[in-house]
Order: sequence, then C-alpha cells, then structure tokens
Amino acid sequence: MLDVLRRWRDEVGDTHALGAARVGLGVLLFANALRAASELKAGYFGDFFHWPVLPEALVSDRNVYAFLVMGQMLLSAFVVAGHRARGALCLSALIGLYVMLCDRLQFHNNRAALFFYSLLLSFSPCDRAFSVTTASGPLWAARLAQFQLSFIYVASGGSKLFDADWRSGRVLFERFVLFGPNAIGGGVPEKIVRWASHPDFASALAKIAIATELGLAVALWSRRARAVGLWWGVWFHLAIEISSRVEGFTWLTLTIYALFSTPDLRARKLYYDPFRRGSRMIARAVAWLDWLGRFEVKSWVPDSLRKGHSVVVIRRDGTLATGLGAAAMLARCIPVLFPFWAPLALAASFTRGGDASARS
Amino acid sequence: MFDLRPPARASFAALWVLGQATLVLTAGLRSDHIFAFRMFSEASTLDIHLSRDTKDFNVPAPRGEWAARDAAGQLRHFSWRDRVRDPVLESVDVPMFASYGLDAQLARLQHALDDVADNIEQDDETLRLRADVLVSKNGREPTAVTLLSHVRRER
Repeated sequence: MLDVLRRWRDEVGDTHALGAARVGLGVLLFANALRAASELKAGYFGDFFHWPVLPEALVSDRNVYAFLVMGQMLLSAFVVAGHRARGALCLSALIGLYVMLCDRLQFHNNRAALFFYSLLLSFSPCDRAFSVTTASGPLWAARLAQFQLSFIYVASGGSKLFDADWRSGRVLFERFVLFGPNAIGGGVPEKIVRWASHPDFASALAKIAIATELGLAVALWSRRARAVGLWWGVWFHLAIEISSRVEGFTWLTLTIYALFSTPDLRARKLYYDPFRRGSRMIARAVAWLDWLGRFEVKSWVPDSLRKGHSVVVIRRDGTLATGLGAAAMLARCIPVLFPFWAPLALAASFTRGGDASARS
Repeated sequence: MFDLRPPARASFAALWVLGQATLVLTAGLRSDHIFAFRMFSEASTLDIHLSRDTKDFNVPAPRGEWAARDAAGQLRHFSWRDRVRDPVLESVDVPMFASYGLDAQLARLQHALDDVADNIEQDDETLRLRADVLVSKNGREPTAVTLLSHVRRER
C-alpha cells in the first residue's frame, strides 16, 4: 500500500493530456466568467436577496465584484494560452469559490467541480504542453483531479443509492413527467417521450444510472475496463446533456476524462498515402484532432503491403491495423471520434485482423 | 510555489481527500447540501403563495405584489421581485420545479422572507411576511408548509 502511494506521489510522465485538459478548463472558465458578466449586467447580486456563507462584511461590493468578474475573464485567457497558466488557474478557482461563498444561491455542482478541478490542476505541470516548454512532469496532482472525478461519481451515485425514491425510479419518472413537454417542444418525438415516461422504464433507467455512476468511479482506474468505462461515461454524459440543463458539467467531465488517457506521447503511428486526396485529408484531420498527442503522422512511399490502403495504423505494440481496424484505432484515440469507438471496434472484430482485442 | 516537494504532495492530497469527504458526509447539516455533489436529487415542486400579517388581518399578496401605507400615511407599492431575483423563489403563485430539492428551496425561501421583511422600510403596516407553500415531493400528493419571516419592529 505504501508502495502504491509512493509511486502515485512520485510518478512522472508526459503532460500532453494535462495541457489538453488545461485548455478545456480555460474555455469553461471563460464561459463561466461570461455568464457572470451577463448576470452582472442585469444587476449586482448584493443589491438583491442573497445568502452568504461568509459574514456579510466579507461579501464583495459591486465594484470589487465587477473587478473579479473581469479578472476571471482575463485569467481564463491566460489559462487557454498557457501563459502563467497555473497561477491563472489557481486564482480563477479561488475567485470562483469566493463568489459562491458570497452567495450560496449561485452554488451549482458544476461550478464547484470546475473550481475544484482548476485548483488541483494548478498544482500540475499543465502548462508544459500546448506551449513551448518541455512536456514531462509529475502527475500526482492530475491523479488527484482524477480522484476528484471518482469522488463526485461516488457522492452522486451513493446519494441516489441511499434514496428509496431514486432507487425505485420515482425521481426519474417524475422528471420525465415534468420535463417531457419541454423535450417535445425541443423537437424530441412525442412517442419517445411517452415511452420514456413509463414507470418501468424510469425504474430500469434509475438502476442503470446509479450503477453507472458507482461503476465509473471504479472502472476508470482499471487498466482493462478503462476504455469501455470512458466510452460508456461519454454517452452517459451526452445523454444527460441532451435531456437536462447542466451548464458546462458534461464538457467539464469529458475534459477531465482526458487525464485518464495513458501518458505516452506519439506512441502510435499513422502512415498515409500522400498521393491520395482522401488519405491526405485523413492525415490532416488526425493531426488537427489528435489533442492528446497519440499519433505520429507520416507519409509513406506505397509498397506491396500498403498498396490499396489509404492509411495504416501501427499500434503501441507494433501490430498493424488497416481498414475498419484502423478506423476503430483512430476512434479510440481521438477525443471527438471516441463516442464511435465501441461500435467500430465491434464491427472490426468481425473482420480479418480486426480491432476487438486492440491493445492501444 | 505550485511545484510541491514530495512530502508536501502527500500532505496536500491527504488534506484534500479529508476535506472533500467532510463536505460530502456533512451534507445533511446544510439545508441546501452545497458541496455534496448530490446531482438531480429530487423531482419536487413548490407553489409559493405570499401574504402579510398586519395588526388585524392576514392580507394576501397575489403575485408577490402589495400596497401599504408608509409612516406619513401615503400608499406605496411593494413587490417581492424588487428584492428576490432567484428564478425559483421569485415565481409566486406558480408551481415551480424545486431544483436542488425541497429542503434547499424552503431554506432559501425562509431567508428570502427575512430579507424582504428587512428591506421594506416604507411599509408601515406589515408586521411579518408569510409564505404558504404547496410542496410535492417527487410527485406525491401536495402538502402545505407555512413559513414566516421574523417579526418586524412593532408598528
């Protein structure tokens, strides 16, 4: 046990995923500051009913609050740019937490999570990727941010598990009843809403939701279950995003998912045929979308093996993937394609040299 | 400053985990359960009806609006929304979804009643504000809850 803790404390690795997570957090911090600015335009919270956790004397006045909101905007730009990013992350988090303590009506789980993650990542070398400096450093704070995500899953799933109304599906059923008309208004077919509003469906879904949250808290740490866990989690959060208003929580969680990727920069290779337009386009798209730095993209001179293939992927273990297998490999490693990974991998498993047992 | 040395990392992590665990385990002590990450905890509704207790009567305040005389005897208009801008609490006489649960919204409403009672200096008639709230927890039959602001100085 002590050994595990020591390894966690001293682990050093590639920080590319940390850089990607930093940029994601920066964008979300900017969106949060923009929302605060627009609310400030409508009126300063202190001029109306507010409920501070702090003593009233410590609640910022209008001018200080306006300054803090502007400061948050500026700091988020520093975070995205990677210039003095760690200080900017820390300050953004502290200002955000302070504002929530000034008025607990402004508390939202997604905002608290955003500031907690920002604070934790400020202790990680998240400024070394997507910038000009070296891309390796200690990962303990990144692991702590991952722990925070699991902790949120346990807190959320645990509170549902101990709530009889949640377990039975009553809460979900009632949510479907209350918000069904909104969904129909938003373009969801009435038939689907009516089907989803059935008590048996709500009951089954409640159990799946609780199992998902508690399961993800564990699966994300397992080397074998991680990829499937991440894939399931992505769809879980996308489904919540479509059906509920959660501010930036979906994008925040998916940003933190980046930290669960194995820290191995350019460990896979993507070879493409420079004489084919389609091939060149795939290579360019991969170079653009490979935010976690999984692939080294190279052109080849076509030979007898590669003839007929637009792209060939060389996995981390040196095995080759082409066709559907290569597509599954790309989907597994490129964040925006990741939701399609499992069906592609399943389809690839039925082809020769498929990807169902892909070791990446 | 941000590059902690190994011994400090362990202490920081231990404090962080302890802090987070404390926030979650003590959620029940906070009526609005803030910092406990209880997502989508309820699907409850509340329907707030405001009124005010005067020296002789309880007078309804439909839609959170009322008129009362000031110390000079002049009739003045008051509105709940002049002080309360929270999307749930400002909606009076309309059933609303209780985001973060009934406990959270009733606690907020209690504080809002006290706050408004403290900020209607020109109302010389109202002794205290009253909210009769129809609450429905997760789709169950509605029940009535009454909240009262603190008593304003004797008029």
